[in-house]
Amino acid sequence: MAGSSKRRARHLVFLPYVAFLAIFLGWPGLYVFRSAFAKGTAERSPMIEAVTGQFRGSFVFSLQLSFISASIGAVIGALVAVAVVRLDTVRGLRSTVVGYSAVAANMGGIPLAFAFLAAFGMQGLATRLLREINVDIIGWGFRISDFWGIVLVYLYFQIPLMTLVLVPALDGLRRTWAEAAQSLGASSAQYWRLVALPILTPALLGGFLLLVANAFAAYATAFALSSGGSRLVPVQIRFFLQGDTITGKTNLGYALAAWMVIITALLVTGFQLLMRRAERWRR
Amino acid sequence: MNRNIEFRDVAKSFGSVKALVDFAIRVDEGELVTLLGPSGCGKSTALRVAAGFEVCDSGDVLIGGTSVVALPASKRGIGMVFQNYSLFPHLTVHENLEFGMKVRKMSRSQRTARVGELLDLVRLAGLAERYPHQISGGQQQRVALARALAIEPQVLLLDEPLSALDATVRVEVREEIRRIQRTSGIATVFVTHDQEEALAISDRICVMCDGQVEQIATPHVVYRSPATPFVARFVGKVNDLAVEISASSRVRLRGHAFEFSVPQSQVQSGEARLLIRPEDIRVTSSAGGEGLQGRVDGLQFGGATTSLDVAIAGTNHVVRVSDSTRAMQFGIGDVVSLVFDMERALLTRE
Amino acid sequence: MKISRIGAWLTLAIVATFYIVPMLAMTRFAFQRVPVIKLSWGNVFQKWTIQPIIDSFGSPDFQRAASLSIMLAIATALATIAVLLPTMTFAHLGSPRTRRLIEISAVLPFVVPAIALVVGFAGAFRDTLPILIRSSFGLVPLYVITALPFTHRTLENGLAALDIRTLVNASRSLGASWWRTIAFVIAPNMRASIATASFLAFTVVLGEFTIASLLLKNTLPLYLSYAQGSNPQGTFGLGIVLVVISTVFVAMSNRFGKKVRT
Repeated sequence: MAGSSKRRARHLVFLPYVAFLAIFLGWPGLYVFRSAFAKGTAERSPMIEAVTGQFRGSFVFSLQLSFISASIGAVIGALVAVAVVRLDTVRGLRSTVVGYSAVAANMGGIPLAFAFLAAFGMQGLATRLLREINVDIIGWGFRISDFWGIVLVYLYFQIPLMTLVLVPALDGLRRTWAEAAQSLGASSAQYWRLVALPILTPALLGGFLLLVANAFAAYATAFALSSGGSRLVPVQIRFFLQGDTITGKTNLGYALAAWMVIITALLVTGFQLLMRRAERWRR
Repeated sequence: MNRNIEFRDVAKSFGSVKALVDFAIRVDEGELVTLLGPSGCGKSTALRVAAGFEVCDSGDVLIGGTSVVALPASKRGIGMVFQNYSLFPHLTVHENLEFGMKVRKMSRSQRTARVGELLDLVRLAGLAERYPHQISGGQQQRVALARALAIEPQVLLLDEPLSALDATVRVEVREEIRRIQRTSGIATVFVTHDQEEALAISDRICVMCDGQVEQIATPHVVYRSPATPFVARFVGKVNDLAVEISASSRVRLRGHAFEFSVPQSQVQSGEARLLIRPEDIRVTSSAGGEGLQGRVDGLQFGGATTSLDVAIAGTNHVVRVSDSTRAMQFGIGDVVSLVFDMERALLTRE
Repeated sequence: MKISRIGAWLTLAIVATFYIVPMLAMTRFAFQRVPVIKLSWGNVFQKWTIQPIIDSFGSPDFQRAASLSIMLAIATALATIAVLLPTMTFAHLGSPRTRRLIEISAVLPFVVPAIALVVGFAGAFRDTLPILIRSSFGLVPLYVITALPFTHRTLENGLAALDIRTLVNASRSLGASWWRTIAFVIAPNMRASIATASFLAFTVVLGEFTIASLLLKNTLPLYLSYAQGSNPQGTFGLGIVLVVISTVFVAMSNRFGKKVRT
């Protein structure tokens, strides 16, 4: 009847958008997964091969890098968020910090790698300055292109990302809850343990997951820092699909990509669910 | 142990703003006293000083006869209900209620028993396992009240607990608050800007303005015998008419010949304002020609009562009159006579 | 509840240092013709020059890369608005469930990392629509998708501040077509969010490396990584310039964003 046909017509307006997403996001995604499961001439499904064979080390390396940069970044980012909220009365401080965090969180890729090479590379400015005060990080074995070097670079965008997630969450800590807790006899420590931390936990955890996903998907920065970065899954995918393509083995590259999508999807979903919970409590 | 609270000449300023000036009042056990006034009058400040969230500049606050100004909020034995966001969002109703008891290390069985009692008291049994975002605003405030009472405080402080609720819920919840307060007999300080609320549930009302106390009296007295023009204007509706006083203590509406006689001359002469409530003016059809003549310009039908806006001929004055609908059988355009009950009127300079 | 203010300031100071040092190092490397080893307190202010970056600007490779990136950025911004504005307007006229679905769809790009997206894209269209892979402008849809989570949220903020239903009803009742309504009624009221979303799209495109790299398109970030060897100072200088431009863009977005919210 008239009503339902109008509704159908209504929904037709979304066709261009849905088609756009389907063609340029859906189809590539499907292709990745289809190729990832296609056995070809190999005995095992590429998906299994990808995580058990030679690439297992890459996944481990990638995840280690992601978790560690996420952990350190989360802690420091949380401290920055707490500091900013504590100094709320200082005019302009919060907008500056949050504004710069927005810039730094999206910074990545080549310029960031350059900056850290210039600072902490073998010929870096900071390396040199530290040597002036007798701290020889090169002598200690620190290389910007190795694991801990990459962690350091990743922190540059991990910390502000956590700050951006946590500042609204801290804002959401209503003053009345602290006062209610006080009026009910709770000490400062009890308030934090029984009220503030539990309320902040979804945001803390969600932020952490977001940071892990963020680091895990990062490609350009690691690529630009070369050597150390080449053990990361994203870079491996590239080598796989740009370099030698041993027929039957290309699907391994797609399997790696598919696993990346799965892992990122889990992390991002976890983040969304946790943030929804945090939102609900803010009402 | 006396469950009462007393403010002694409490003063508090925020920078150059004097939030409280010589604030003094005592609320006894069993009493519900309302601090009533517009925003910025100091009522919330007074409450927060009592609770311990603000430190007063001078003066004293005694709970149960003991000064508490040096004590932190957590040790004052008060129960507090906030305007909103009272309940802890991550805890169920049950867990919210037992929070204070948990802090005091009461045993689980004791806590559960008391939670049951409290839920019965506020008539919300069955909601124990819900989360705050799953219950309505009115229910949240009732739980907040129960939670405040859980630790058996000496004094109950309520900071505009109804202001964030819908109009119908507001009336329901305020009745609940009154009932519970009567049952528990606890001294209660209630803060609100809604004068209707204050009139409905208080034993006494403390009307405040700009940090000062304007009047402390029962609702009836505050309404019928306002001590200051501010109280007259703030509580209930009032006509505010520009008048002139002649030397012989007779009052005329500015620009009009008709004279009223003033029982006692509160103001000697010159220009003044006459404050009189709509229900203190009698309306008759203008047969006899006595009384102030005017024409009905507007009519508000309020069910049991009706109000008329009467325009006084030859002037800008519009006088509002109200009475039971039965007595107000007039229509727009009718010419009527007004007789003012000057015993109930207030004359003031400004 | 007592976190000391001193502790707070200290934290911010330490973290700020961490953020300034690399940028300072990059600037110094780019514009000072003194190798780090020879650097001493004596010559700290000597031999500063912008020559390296002028050389870079002069390089034809750079100019090609820069113009490609700028064109892609403009195309992405336009495509984003063209796709999102009508869609989101209709979503706001529909049920909350539709709006929620669109919201979720806008977060999907987060779930597919750029590397996975590009290999899938290349594989999927290699045999069927190779033109998408050969042409540089095949990057545009991928960039629109990459920027989607950010641009969607910005436009969402803008739409939420307006009473879409009333505007549309008024415009339609006066006889305007859907296109006129969106272009001449909705869009002008959303100038700030549209500008912000465009800035964000710009920032994303100017910084995007992964997709361009795998599809062998010579955009600005790619130029930076290749030219590093031949003209390190100039390239680093370009890097700093890019950072400054991105910062300005995001800062302007934030400023605009605040205006939208009031």
